[in-house]
Amino acid sequence: MGLRKATEPLGLRRIEPREYPRDTEGLIEQLQDRDPSVRRWAARDMAIHPDAVTPLCQHLLVEEDASVREVIFTTLGCLGGEDVVEGLIPLLRSEDANLRNSTIEVLAELPETVAPHIETLLHDGDPDVRIFTLNLLNDLRHPDVGRWLSLVLKDDAHVNVVAAALEVLAEVGTPTALSALKLARQRFADDPFIGFAADLAQQRIEGA
Amino acid sequence: MKAAAVEKASITEADFEKFREFFYRKTGIQFDNSKRYFVDKRLIERIEATGSDSFRSYFVKLRFETDGSEMQALVNCMTVNETYFFRESYQFDCLVNSMLDDIVKKRKPGSRLRIWSIPSSTGEEPYSIAIYLLERWPEIDLHEVEIMSSDIDTSVLQAAQRGVYSARSIANLPKPYLAKYFKQNAQGDWVITRDIVDAVEFSRVNLSDPNDTRRFRDIDVIFCRNLLIYFDDISRRIAAEAMFDALRPGGFVCLGHSESMSRISSLFDVRRFPDAMVYEKPMEAKR
Repeated sequence: MGLRKATEPLGLRRIEPREYPRDTEGLIEQLQDRDPSVRRWAARDMAIHPDAVTPLCQHLLVEEDASVREVIFTTLGCLGGEDVVEGLIPLLRSEDANLRNSTIEVLAELPETVAPHIETLLHDGDPDVRIFTLNLLNDLRHPDVGRWLSLVLKDDAHVNVVAAALEVLAEVGTPTALSALKLARQRFADDPFIGFAADLAQQRIEGA
Repeated sequence: MKAAAVEKASITEADFEKFREFFYRKTGIQFDNSKRYFVDKRLIERIEATGSDSFRSYFVKLRFETDGSEMQALVNCMTVNETYFFRESYQFDCLVNSMLDDIVKKRKPGSRLRIWSIPSSTGEEPYSIAIYLLERWPEIDLHEVEIMSSDIDTSVLQAAQRGVYSARSIANLPKPYLAKYFKQNAQGDWVITRDIVDAVEFSRVNLSDPNDTRRFRDIDVIFCRNLLIYFDDISRRIAAEAMFDALRPGGFVCLGHSESMSRISSLFDVRRFPDAMVYEKPMEAKR
């Protein structure tokens, strides 16, 4: 006993006959396999198959194993592009918080592609979708983030959406947002939380 | 011109607070007040290097730059890349005092245990693990243990297999271990015994390339310390998922002291042992 070098590669995966071909169709079929590790490897190998975006997004809605879902999100992040953004945006309406949060994480990694969708999302009829979009802005590296936040502060009628925007502004705001911040404070003058959040954001902006 | 830029780029208390909070959220690395000088100095270096005229303009660039390259440059600047024997040895203590015993309980008697150290760098970490096992794990003679170590850089893999180290590299080694496992050569460097070199299987692996990592499986413990901090977000997740598939259920991952798996992936459970906190691949699938 003791230390043993792998004289034969016991730690390595033996080559076994493949049950499925590893083209896009074969990999899509593997997403239905009973073994989660087969599904994970299929999802991982799809990172070089741009035509797999739609089936991957669809599979997210039915996949029950968190580890498989996580690999699918990573693969979608690797693939990037308009199809990924369009496939993921509907998941912002999901009741499943894990699915929503992972969606936000991946979208945040695709700033150039997601940017043209932001204003539409910020005008969505569902205030929750607008709040999730603000959560996305918190992690989005894009030069228009300040302008989008200002739009919400000036126009959005929902107090929780404005509060979420102020929270993001406290971290990323610049002095150009101060006039919009003042307007939000006036629009919600009776709401003590908005007053508190606006004070905090202003302090952070002016302190920087 | 340069002196003027430095003057403009002074870091105020509020700047430091703002930066500290942002950097912690992005990387999990926390700077307390005692690191203020270190942080200020490096921030000013990056402000100058990017041609920014103040902390504020630099922070806007850092925060909103779409390709994230400045964030990566700053991370590289704020982290110290060095390796030596018995570095962060509390995790090796955890290995021999807790992790291996925990794993052995879950396994059939006589099963071979596998440990993967990545990145190998020039060999200090896998060889430290080998010495720790031989010297400090009472059950070493009852089990077969295989140590694998990988790096993306073939030149460091060659250096690891040469096994020649400076006095600085071995400074943390207890003297009896130095005497037992090393010999000093004519140049004053320390050469590790071939028995230890031969106990480690080295290979070239890019942790964020599934074609490289799919060969690895049934591993019990992975040491992946101070590597993921240099990856971008996607590569970090690919690496975490590769480690997940390489591990047996109930296996462990050890990250560097400033790294947090919870910030990268939700695949693993946190496991707290007396010597260290590590990440465990759950025995059952998560829903």
